[in-house]
Amino acid sequence: MPEAFRHESRKKSMTNKEKYINCFTQALEVPAEGVEKLEYQGVESWDSVGHMSLVAALEDAFGIQMDTDDIVDLSSFEKGIAIMKKYGVEI
Amino acid sequence: MGLDLLRGKVAVVTGAHRGIGLAILERFVQCGADVRVVNRRADPAFSERCRALEQEHGVRISECFADFEDEAQVKDAARALCAMKPAPDILVNNVGIAGSTMMFTMTKMEAVRRSFEVNLFSAIALTQALSRQMMRQKRGSIIFLSSSAAFDGGAGIDYSASKAAVIGAARRMAVELGKFGIRVNALAPGLTRTDMGAVTSQADQAQAASRAVLGRIAEPSEIADAAAFLASDLSRFVTGQVLRVDGGILR
Ligand SMILES: NC(=O)c1ccc[n+]([C@@H]2O[C@H](COP(=O)([O-])OP(=O)(O)OC[C@H]3O[C@@H](n4cnc5c(N)ncnc54)[C@H](OP(=O)(O)O)[C@@H]3O)[C@@H](O)[C@H]2O)c1
Repeated sequence: MPEAFRHESRKKSMTNKEKYINCFTQALEVPAEGVEKLEYQGVESWDSVGHMSLVAALEDAFGIQMDTDDIVDLSSFEKGIAIMKKYGVEI
Repeated sequence: MGLDLLRGKVAVVTGAHRGIGLAILERFVQCGADVRVVNRRADPAFSERCRALEQEHGVRISECFADFEDEAQVKDAARALCAMKPAPDILVNNVGIAGSTMMFTMTKMEAVRRSFEVNLFSAIALTQALSRQMMRQKRGSIIFLSSSAAFDGGAGIDYSASKAAVIGAARRMAVELGKFGIRVNALAPGLTRTDMGAVTSQADQAQAASRAVLGRIAEPSEIADAAAFLASDLSRFVTGQVLRVDGGILR
């Protein structure tokens, strides 16, 4: 199987929770450990620039378009789970 | 004008139905850009003109609609634009209304708010959504339409104030978006020959012409040429600026 497809199928088999965690670890360049306690500006990389990368990662991962109000409200890992629900994404 | 100045780029232009916005649409497609226009409402004659421009210049023009007095409609249009691929390289916030011509002591706050809604708030809302797409691709050029009235108070309170506020908004966005490779500038035209310009009395038009060192008012195509410069890579090191296109109002 070509690498690109293998990657795709790996992505498909991921749970929403795994995808959600991946968004944080990749956009904010933090380890998965402790990710559930993350809050906006709680780590150096989650500044306003990191925030926009995180939003872009979530939009790509779940195929959604977040409203500005929700972008502003996305203040923690926990809060994000509730926001994703609004877009029909169960974490 | 180099015909391929914007070849391969995608631009969003608001208020392209007539006047300066239409001139910008025409100039951009002549330069090779695909353009997504945001007009108040559908108009078969405008759509027909778009099909002719597509044929002539080998580009694509798509239309979506929003009344810029209505925040919900602007947000819907923003959502529709964000769903279109590829993401835009250029955004021109052109929609504007001239507003009140009364003395400010006789201008209702309602009228002031309406002008700010159309001339500033809606443009901010649209830019919030589209700049996020530009951030992902780490490039973009955003252009606001201010006015010489922002500098000389040459129109009603709502217009002069909202067009000055546009400059503040553009500067702040330039500060925040620079690190994403996005440039934000404003154009400040002097009196220009459009329906909006025609609201000005003949006597005032003559006076405006005499204040410009080039001795006349602007044609919409001259504002569009300046927009093409700011949209293109020719201005790649220009951001946070106001380009006055007013024939030289120096006194
Ligand atoms: N003309 C001048 O002397 C001059 C000078 C300096 C700056 N400017 C600025 O340049 C820009 C264009 O001006 P212009 O002279 O081309 O004006 P215009 O001839 O009056 O055209 C205005 C354009 O904006 C659209 N528009 C107005 N209100 C709208 C709304 N609520 N929702 C959606 N679209 C709306 C109009 O659509 P409809 O056709 O559907 O009405 C039209 O396409 C404005 O921002 C203006 O302030 C103009």
